[in-house]
Amino acid sequence: MLESLQNLANGFGIATTIHNLFYCLIGAIVGTLIGVLPGIGPIAGIALLIPATFGLNATSAIIMLAGIYYGAMYGGSTTSILLNVPGETASVITCIDGYQMAQKGRAGPALAIAAIGSFIAGTIGIFGLVFLAPPLAQAALAFGPPEFFSLMIFGFIVLSNVTGTSLLKALMMATIGLIIGTIGLDPVTGDARFSFGSISLLGGIEFVAVAIGLFGIGEVLINVHQPTELLDQRVIVPRFRDLYPSLQDLKRSIGAILRGAGIGFGIGLVPGPAPVIATYSSYMIERKISKHPEEFGKGAIEGVAGPESANNSSCQSAFIPLFVLGIPFGPVTAIMLGAFLIHGVSPGPLLISQHPELFWGVIASMYIGNFILLLLNLPFVPFFANILRIPKRILLPLIILFCMTGMYTVNNSIFDIWMMLLFGALGFLMRKWAYEGAPLLLALVLGPKLEVAFRQSLMISHGDFAIFINRPISMAFLLAAVVFLTIPIIRMIFKKKGGEDTREKVRG
Amino acid sequence: MNRDEIIGGMVIFIFGAVTTFLSLRMPIGNFRMPATGMFPLLLGILLMVLSTLFILNLFFKNKKIELRKKWFSLSELFPAQLILFFGTMVLATAFLKPLGYPLFSFLLMIFLLRILGTKNWGFIFLLSLVTGLVSYLLFVQWLKIPLPKGWIGL
Repeated sequence: MLESLQNLANGFGIATTIHNLFYCLIGAIVGTLIGVLPGIGPIAGIALLIPATFGLNATSAIIMLAGIYYGAMYGGSTTSILLNVPGETASVITCIDGYQMAQKGRAGPALAIAAIGSFIAGTIGIFGLVFLAPPLAQAALAFGPPEFFSLMIFGFIVLSNVTGTSLLKALMMATIGLIIGTIGLDPVTGDARFSFGSISLLGGIEFVAVAIGLFGIGEVLINVHQPTELLDQRVIVPRFRDLYPSLQDLKRSIGAILRGAGIGFGIGLVPGPAPVIATYSSYMIERKISKHPEEFGKGAIEGVAGPESANNSSCQSAFIPLFVLGIPFGPVTAIMLGAFLIHGVSPGPLLISQHPELFWGVIASMYIGNFILLLLNLPFVPFFANILRIPKRILLPLIILFCMTGMYTVNNSIFDIWMMLLFGALGFLMRKWAYEGAPLLLALVLGPKLEVAFRQSLMISHGDFAIFINRPISMAFLLAAVVFLTIPIIRMIFKKKGGEDTREKVRG
Repeated sequence: MNRDEIIGGMVIFIFGAVTTFLSLRMPIGNFRMPATGMFPLLLGILLMVLSTLFILNLFFKNKKIELRKKWFSLSELFPAQLILFFGTMVLATAFLKPLGYPLFSFLLMIFLLRILGTKNWGFIFLLSLVTGLVSYLLFVQWLKIPLPKGWIGL
């Protein structure tokens, strides 16, 4: 413990040199801008900017790239809250209540609580990283394909309970997302599926196209569908004193932030798209334990505080397997691994002993970076919130141009814009007929990983499905999934017997 | 019970059935060695089961079908403004390559602003010009993203 603190103090010495502070600041600013721009998520952002770090030493380069990573996570929440456009996967959940808060004139508190929650969770995540890295990384090694599969199933059941429509509708959307996720090359054999001879479809459906389409374009089309005179109406413009969260908001959020930090940290250690699962799990738990579950989906501040905290915390703990094992568990850490290797550093068990200045310097810089981001984001809350003052008849074309350009930049592909428009039309129809886009989107992301885990598990067990219940961790996840699936149904039956279907009421 | 909901459930059922049909044309393998078509096949079947449950649930929940004079009105669902707006986006995408990004962004803004009812042509022209210029400087000049240059070559 004392040794870790001593090492962390040395790390702060390295991170607070003018040189490294400067690169941390640049990374945080660029990351925030990348997060705000729809389409350019942290993966594309880091990939684009790796060449810019070639002239730097390894420590400064990794500090800057890590800054871009969590800066993008901060920035992603801004467009989710204000425009219902998730900059990256982990921000999808923030759209649900963050956007509703913005529509009610509470964009300021939503943005501020996202920044504060991210800072607190980031801080907790960093201390967890310092003290728990080696033992937790060992625990994560216990996850094989069956455990991973069961965890994903648990995640789907959780996310299907999260959304505002019926459980069956959410499960159907999740299944459609999984089917769309199978388009392209088979992840195991490399055979083409559902590509219909199109080379563009071989790479699968771009997640960003689906995300921007379902949420961003779908939302714009819903607005355009309104009579023209309504387009001059602005959302409720906040007064200055309403731009920051009240004491009541902070009181309601603090528990959600702490729980989100814990959930995010734990899930960040597990292979897979940790921020996505972490945000969903956090939202689900907050909704379950809330005294006012009916407010979720309609602008509950806990629905922003919890997931945003879980997101940031999981980003920190995702570095543990990368640093200690040299194994990236997600796409962003995979790109970070590439950046390490480019700079001549091999992450793994020997990283701490061979490059202590890098390991502890980067960890300390993460804390400083979080602080910089808080300082950067809070003063900009009024600026961002005022975007909503622009009349919709001007704002909507700007969002469209922004989305189309952002979409093209992901793969420099017009095909992706077509896909975005297709999913935009689908998103519009889904909104009209009360189907939620979030389960579809998340299933699309998790689908290929779920399939690989499923097939690997069956190959390991020679086709015996008992492998999923014979392994304790896997069985625990499946049991939890069954509990999550049956409790709402049982509750609905009992409520119906009492003459009132409150589940439908809660789900809106 | 809303007939639109039933139609939604049926569309999803058909999607599941098509997925199942297309999956059966791929190698399925067996549970010991699942092949390419196994996972989508299971998903297609699952979707059909879920959508059937959804439709049955609609019937059991409220046996009385809400009889409307028309199922849904196309002109109500897709008003002219929406069709023009979405059509402009489709056309703009189709002409992005030949027009080039600066002209694409300028024209897209002009049309969308006009469709949404902005009447002042001077304002439309100025805002479209500024937006096109700023996005060009941001994405092409600063972020160095190779957006289509089109016939103007910018």
